[in-house]
Amino acid sequence: MTVAVMKTKAEQSFAEGFSEVQEKLPGSTAVRAIREEAAQRFAELGLPHRRIEEWKYTDLRNQVKDALPPRSGEKVAMTIADVIVALGPLAHVDAHRVVFVNGSHRPELSSPGGLAGVNIQSLASALETAEGGNAAIAGIASQHSDAVMALNTAYMSDGAVVQVEAGAALDKPLMLVHIRAGKAPCFAAVRNVIEVGAKASARIVEAFVSLPGAAGDGQINTVTQVNVGEEAVVTHVKVAADAGEGVTHLSNWMSRIAKSAEYRGFQLTQGVNLARNQIRIDFDGEDAKLDLSGVFLGRGSDHIDTTLVVDHAVPSCESRELFKGVLDGNARGIFQGKIIVQQAAQKTDGKQMSQALLLSENAEFDSKPELEIFADDVVCGHGATCAELDKDLMFYCQSRGIPAEIAKVLLIESFIGEAVDQIDDEAIGEAVMAFARGWLS
Amino acid sequence: MAAVESTIEQVKQIDVDKYKYGFETDIESVRAPKGLDEDTIRYISARKSEPEWMLQWRLDAYERWRSMTEPTWARVHYPKIDFEDLYYYSAPKSTEGPKSLDEVDPELLRTYEKLGIPLREQAVLAGVQGAPRVAVDAVFDSVSVVTTFKDELKKAGVIFCSISEAVREYPELVQKYLGSVVPKSDNFYASLNSAVFSDGSFVYIPEGVRCPMELSTYFRINDMQTGQFERTLIVADKGSYVSYLEGCTAPMRDENQLHAAVVELVALDDAEIKYSTVQNWYPGDKDGKGGIYNFVTKRGDCRGDRSKISWTQVETGSAITWKYPSCILRGDDSRGEFYSIAISNGRQQVDSGTKMIHLGKNTSSRIISKGIAAGYSDNTYRGLVSAHRKATNARNFTQCDSLLIGNNCGAHTVPYIEAKTSTAHFEHEATTSKISDDKLFYCMQRGLSEEEAVTLIVNGFVRDVLQQLPMEFMAETQKLIGISLEGSVG
Repeated sequence: MTVAVMKTKAEQSFAEGFSEVQEKLPGSTAVRAIREEAAQRFAELGLPHRRIEEWKYTDLRNQVKDALPPRSGEKVAMTIADVIVALGPLAHVDAHRVVFVNGSHRPELSSPGGLAGVNIQSLASALETAEGGNAAIAGIASQHSDAVMALNTAYMSDGAVVQVEAGAALDKPLMLVHIRAGKAPCFAAVRNVIEVGAKASARIVEAFVSLPGAAGDGQINTVTQVNVGEEAVVTHVKVAADAGEGVTHLSNWMSRIAKSAEYRGFQLTQGVNLARNQIRIDFDGEDAKLDLSGVFLGRGSDHIDTTLVVDHAVPSCESRELFKGVLDGNARGIFQGKIIVQQAAQKTDGKQMSQALLLSENAEFDSKPELEIFADDVVCGHGATCAELDKDLMFYCQSRGIPAEIAKVLLIESFIGEAVDQIDDEAIGEAVMAFARGWLS
Repeated sequence: MAAVESTIEQVKQIDVDKYKYGFETDIESVRAPKGLDEDTIRYISARKSEPEWMLQWRLDAYERWRSMTEPTWARVHYPKIDFEDLYYYSAPKSTEGPKSLDEVDPELLRTYEKLGIPLREQAVLAGVQGAPRVAVDAVFDSVSVVTTFKDELKKAGVIFCSISEAVREYPELVQKYLGSVVPKSDNFYASLNSAVFSDGSFVYIPEGVRCPMELSTYFRINDMQTGQFERTLIVADKGSYVSYLEGCTAPMRDENQLHAAVVELVALDDAEIKYSTVQNWYPGDKDGKGGIYNFVTKRGDCRGDRSKISWTQVETGSAITWKYPSCILRGDDSRGEFYSIAISNGRQQVDSGTKMIHLGKNTSSRIISKGIAAGYSDNTYRGLVSAHRKATNARNFTQCDSLLIGNNCGAHTVPYIEAKTSTAHFEHEATTSKISDDKLFYCMQRGLSEEEAVTLIVNGFVRDVLQQLPMEFMAETQKLIGISLEGSVG
């Protein structure tokens, strides 16, 4: 029984909106063709809905009511002081900043160039050249293109194209700052493309924040593509902490890890009304290591979904995932984690853990940790738990004179601290914890 | 070291490369015409002299089934089934139902003897002294051949008979409970079963009665090109207890045969049902030719407060297994348990697991699943644990372990965990590993062959579940594990 599916208002607006802004979007003729193809693909697929297994718990067709207009052209007046305000605790991290406002690169707000061993370009300018366009589009991102990715490919307005030279070691973190600002709610599609050469080391922070006074609503669709070269060491942190009340954050991380490389990823999501964080990790060479962790904090009617796929295609790799969620009010948290071990991937060591703390009666946590294993000489496991705050621990704290409210915060802090501790940069870790503390109080 | 010795002994006894129960009984049978339409259903219903309401129920189910599509979400692959190319009813030929065991076709009795199923009560009584007695309902293709110990059970007030008989004799009970756990529109195969189910067992344990003996059904597919659709309904009234065993085998054939059963359990206040299955349908040959498609819907409803349902299953047979024995924990303080061993070898595909649906307050559930994949097989655990908003203090503990033997098989875990209340405490744990070389070396160094060592280690791996099985099944299961894994090493 096939039924013709009606296009929702949002689907229609996204499709129609594309033809309106198409001309204004950056890119060479080849890029334009790819954008059109992607728009076509999105029109065919529509927004993902719960009949698609991967989207079982997050029904974008239902939850994204309308498409906000993309405003990549309009410039919101801002100063560096504004950037610091928007960054909050992250402003204390001594980093090289590349700033984007509403999906457009703002060189005047960014740190002046000149970071040794790194070449940074804006995506908009990279797309104008055949080479840059290729790097941004033809990478792994194109291989796993769902409707959300297609939407990004069609609409992407800007982002950072970062190349860390082989053997280079960045002395301070590189921070890609995406700020939502201005009174008019808008839709921004950004893409960051990060290439880390062999034996190089880099710490990269992506921040998705808002300027106080920004519109309450906003839609962000972001794709980050990371290629970790052989024996390279990369720390990659994403902070999505918005002050708006109706913000949709759709994100895709696509990382490929080469032989003997080490990749440490972390994601913090808070203050986002509807978030879907998709992570896909491909192991491309033996003896590589992955350490992925995250914290999601939701209250009110927040809906935060983390869906990750770790694909072990080659032998002797190690992967660790640890995700912690705290849910209050009517918030709903979702964790779907899939570890695939292909037949060739002998000696794989994979472990995954997801834990949620439910603070209110109406909070909900759904998890689906999956193992898909085709090789026999492996050690793989996953765990998932969910519960309320431990009453015994609360009692212990209170019996020692700590007021209930503070005891609660302490316990939650220590709960998420375990995941935050996975960040191997102290300053970044502290900033992340400060964000979480801000949310808690 | 007695356990080791007996395991080795059992392994030795098994014919290499032979499914022990693969013989065929040469017996005349009566069949319904091939294919499925309303007439087939009327034919089945008429053969069973069913009342009008039963026929109507079947026809409704058939109507629903026609509008449904085959589910494709499970991780199993098989050519499309032609539902028109099947016989939906096949019964050993006999004019009237046998009055006593002496009237039963001796060929049939020999079959069950060969399968090791005791049908003669005297034989059972005289046989092993002191061994627990088991009442058996033997289902051959589409009909129940004989039910033993009926009289003795009657004295205790327990009703144990074939479902066809129950429809005639106890219509009010059947009408009240049939389809109340698995509705006739539940899913594709359950609807098909509701339309054409031919036989199965019915059990009713009255209030406060502890069933005096183990009850058991033995299913046997014999005829060619037939599908078996049996239906089991067990109702445990307030404060009662019953332990029920189910076994199944089929001859070796090149064709795939369909087995789509439905099992419904209802436990009222303070009642307990323990349901154990040893599923040993013909799994097909080593190249994946033939074998049974086992598409089964099993569900228990802990309807009453403080009720308990426990599923224990040992899945070693079938070309394809698609089966999720579930518990609906509706009553307050009710408890559901699921213990499973699923072994796949050759080209077998298993997609099995459970659902624990917490609705009442203070409900608890426990899932222990052990999957073992060898050869070219795929073994998937798929499960759901959910707590409804009002299911305060729901507790679940889940452990799924998979063991891989060889590099051409797959083991997968797909659990869904949904907590809609903060008071739910859910814990889920899953691991996958292979038999470590150290363990193998240790066993072999003590004189065991590699195959014996694997069997021993596997028996240890599944011990948690094995312990949940009734005594009668434990030995058989240990033996089965030996057979199923044969040829998987080296």
